[in-house]
Amino acid sequence: MKIPLQLLDDVGRDYPRKNAYLRDLANASEQGDKAALKRLIAEKDEHPYMVRLNAYLKEKDAFMSVLPKILEAEWEKAEAYEDPVLRRLEKDYLRQRELAKFYTPYVDLSYDAEYEARRATLKVNRLPVMIADRKRQIEDLRHAKSEQLRQDPTEQTAAKSRFRNRRNNIRRATAKKNRELKHLMSQGQISRKAVKQGVASNKKEAAVLVQAEKMQIPSVYNRDLIDNLNHQLKQGYRDQAKLLQDELADIARTTPVETTQKRPWKFLAGAPIPGLGQWLNGQPRKALWFFLGALFTFVIAIPYALGYGNYRGQGIAGLISLAEDGKRLDRSIIFMIEGIIAIFLILFAVVIYLFAIRDAYKVETDKLKGIRPKNAFEIKRTSETKGFPYKVSVPALILITFIVLVPIVTAFLLSFTNMDPQHQSKFTWVGFENYRTIFLGEGMIGSVFWRILGWTVIWTLAATTLTIIVGFSTAMMVNNERVKGKRFFRTIFILPWAVPAFITIMFFSIMMAPGGYISEALSSLAGQIVNIKHDPVLTRIALILIQTWCGSAYVFLLTTGVLQAIPADLYEAAKIDGANARQRLTAVTLPLVLFQTGPLLINQYTFNFNNYTIIRIFNDGGPTEPSLYGNLAGTSDLLISYIYKLTMNKENQALGAAIAILISIGLIIVAFVGYRRTAAFKES
Amino acid sequence: MAILNREVKKKSGDLYLSDKPPLTTAGKVGLGFTYFILIVFAFIVLWPIYQIVVNSFNGAQARNIILGGGFSFSLRHFEHLFQETNYLHWVKNTIFIGIATAIITVLIVSFTGYAFSRFRFKGKKFSLLLIMLIQVIPTFAGITAYFTLHQIIVGVVPFFSRQMLLVMIYAGGGIASNTFILKGYMDSISPELDEAAHIDGSTNMQTYRLIIMPLVRPMLAIIALWSFIIPFLDYMLPSILLNRNQDYTLATGLFTLISDQRTMNQPAFAAGGMLTALPIVTFFMLLQNQLVSGLSAGSVKG
Repeated sequence: MKIPLQLLDDVGRDYPRKNAYLRDLANASEQGDKAALKRLIAEKDEHPYMVRLNAYLKEKDAFMSVLPKILEAEWEKAEAYEDPVLRRLEKDYLRQRELAKFYTPYVDLSYDAEYEARRATLKVNRLPVMIADRKRQIEDLRHAKSEQLRQDPTEQTAAKSRFRNRRNNIRRATAKKNRELKHLMSQGQISRKAVKQGVASNKKEAAVLVQAEKMQIPSVYNRDLIDNLNHQLKQGYRDQAKLLQDELADIARTTPVETTQKRPWKFLAGAPIPGLGQWLNGQPRKALWFFLGALFTFVIAIPYALGYGNYRGQGIAGLISLAEDGKRLDRSIIFMIEGIIAIFLILFAVVIYLFAIRDAYKVETDKLKGIRPKNAFEIKRTSETKGFPYKVSVPALILITFIVLVPIVTAFLLSFTNMDPQHQSKFTWVGFENYRTIFLGEGMIGSVFWRILGWTVIWTLAATTLTIIVGFSTAMMVNNERVKGKRFFRTIFILPWAVPAFITIMFFSIMMAPGGYISEALSSLAGQIVNIKHDPVLTRIALILIQTWCGSAYVFLLTTGVLQAIPADLYEAAKIDGANARQRLTAVTLPLVLFQTGPLLINQYTFNFNNYTIIRIFNDGGPTEPSLYGNLAGTSDLLISYIYKLTMNKENQALGAAIAILISIGLIIVAFVGYRRTAAFKES
Repeated sequence: MAILNREVKKKSGDLYLSDKPPLTTAGKVGLGFTYFILIVFAFIVLWPIYQIVVNSFNGAQARNIILGGGFSFSLRHFEHLFQETNYLHWVKNTIFIGIATAIITVLIVSFTGYAFSRFRFKGKKFSLLLIMLIQVIPTFAGITAYFTLHQIIVGVVPFFSRQMLLVMIYAGGGIASNTFILKGYMDSISPELDEAAHIDGSTNMQTYRLIIMPLVRPMLAIIALWSFIIPFLDYMLPSILLNRNQDYTLATGLFTLISDQRTMNQPAFAAGGMLTALPIVTFFMLLQNQLVSGLSAGSVKG
């Protein structure tokens, strides 16, 4: 890295170098004078500037070692203060005075000295004001407190009775004013509202006057004063300290730093442990935070990944072995999940590492350019502003990682294994075996998949579309301008949305079981016994109708909301342009409703695609048809309930996971396309 | 007023006062048809609900609800529900899960919503998209993992029950959509308010607590209510995760009254279903506008 001739600060202003040796070096390398460069580097210590600088540094060391002794005597004075803050401020002031005295002559020699001198001078200017303010406040407080003790009881009672008299006078005056107002109203000169407002303002005025009178009582006044002073002592000091810190940070920003270091190395040296780079850069406070990250890495993430502290597994190694040679009780699935958790922990650690190294690198290269590293106060402020969104998202991140991501990754990996009834406790990797079974329709399991997929698609389209049509048309009818009793119909039609779906589905399930109301009614209509739950076609129709019953109310509600918001002028304009009722529907109503409820309606499709509840509750996927479905599923099973049966009943978790992954990929594609569309909509 | 009405009525006898054009015969038939459909549909909607209510009070029904058994008013199904089943346990479990879900969701989401609405940070857009896409994966995909995960967690934290896992799944699954809803709502609040607060020296936390939170409280309330209501509506996850009758929620508990031959009691189910539905129906009816606005805000903004 080349040594720059000019120094920069963090907003890009440039400063001339003070270090003449570095300036010469920069000049030499600028002109490409290699001989001069070599000579300069060889004779570094003989360079006149370096001689002066070294002398200064020696002097500084000497001064620093005698400083405590100098201060010792002076600090005696500060000990006299009772207030600890005052003591600290006074000590700091004395110290800064000495520092300012020492550094000021060297201001032109180096930026470090200038920095120290400016800091010390600023403090020497500001601290006496703070000390004086605080002294005065403490004195006032002491005075107020002693006043409070010296109150004369007789005078006190006199003051109180005086106050009561005056308060009564004020009240009487207010009442009189109010009477006058009411009188004016009775004469018809002002309105009732004006009286109301007048009375309210009179009341406020009186309250202010009473408060002022109350302050005339010495004890009340004193108590208020004490409260005030206490607050000032606390908050006023805090504000002043913050202001001082701000000014100090400003000095750090406008005083560059010079270093003989040529290229960054500390970030690399500190790379093995997060925080070490920050430490080397001279930012201990920041380093402390990164050390916490290091602690996480070395105490939690890495040991866990290596298999220490696992519940049963072997960390990441468990992902490969899947408990193959483990004990009889070791289960592959545990090894797999612990491996996945280990990977996520390592990922977190990697993020911490990258973040730490990048930060250290940035601070270090900035320093080479001349930008002084931030001080603790500024770091704290940055972490409060820029770091805030990251900090507050951590709980969400943890929850999503362990509750959402880990199970999904598990399902993904599981789909590449052979976890089936024969391999419940120990299973191995089998590659794309499960996907091949599904796609080629191999065996019963594979062929059933396609059959169920077919019904799932029919179900999703039929049930959702019918729901939307019914919901939309009932909403249209109820909102017909000529229909009376809108409120009545609306209340009834919303009911299915408000009743929990599982209750109605369970009830319909009872009604359609043999002997149930609906079964009996249909049987007597048809003249023969109708067993809905034993007939695949009837079961499917019943499911679609029940879902329509449950879901249409929601569509009704949404559509009604949109319909009521469509301005009537749109229809009038359409009418004037000669549109008939059908055209008004297709050109005005439908586009508006679909545009506003579109995403929610699409959600309805994905919801029904995964509508496990209705299938499980109504007939548990039945009726069965062993010739087509074997004992794997029933004729009304959806993919989602097929997954359930494969996983929970048939112990074929691997295949269930493969189907789940296929479904997820399909849904993600649909959602992604949908998202892109809505994003495009929003921009246009 | 009464006089005025009479006058209008009298006039309307001989004068056509409506601002709508008079109906043609076809129009009258159409209107009649509309009324017919509406009434039929109202009947279809009300009939099952009516049956649930009637059968829960019908002492003439035994363990199965059958047609033509007559009606005699009795509370014995409710007695059965309270004394012979774990109904009160189920209510308690459901409420516990609901409250815990609501608290965790609101705590987490109020921060993420604030962060996504008010801050620019690296990875904001990417993480939004990622969370959106992950969200569409059915919770079902992870069933195998949940059991093992629970086993592992219990190894570390012995008192971590399956209900708590359920709470975590509900809360975790709701983070994304609720963050969107809240973000959308917060975006509508002028950022000048927080800028003013920042200039006056308030920290981000103070700005949120004192400025933003009071303004978004209605939406936070809706999010809390929706989260609270989830276990009352969901059958799927409790049926997978909970395995002891006294741990069940209302949905899985009531299902045992119609699915299991040993515990079968359909009128008692009707009674329990009615008791469960009553508060929820009241709640949905009273707050329908707010609930729907919350829903649509989330989906359209997403």
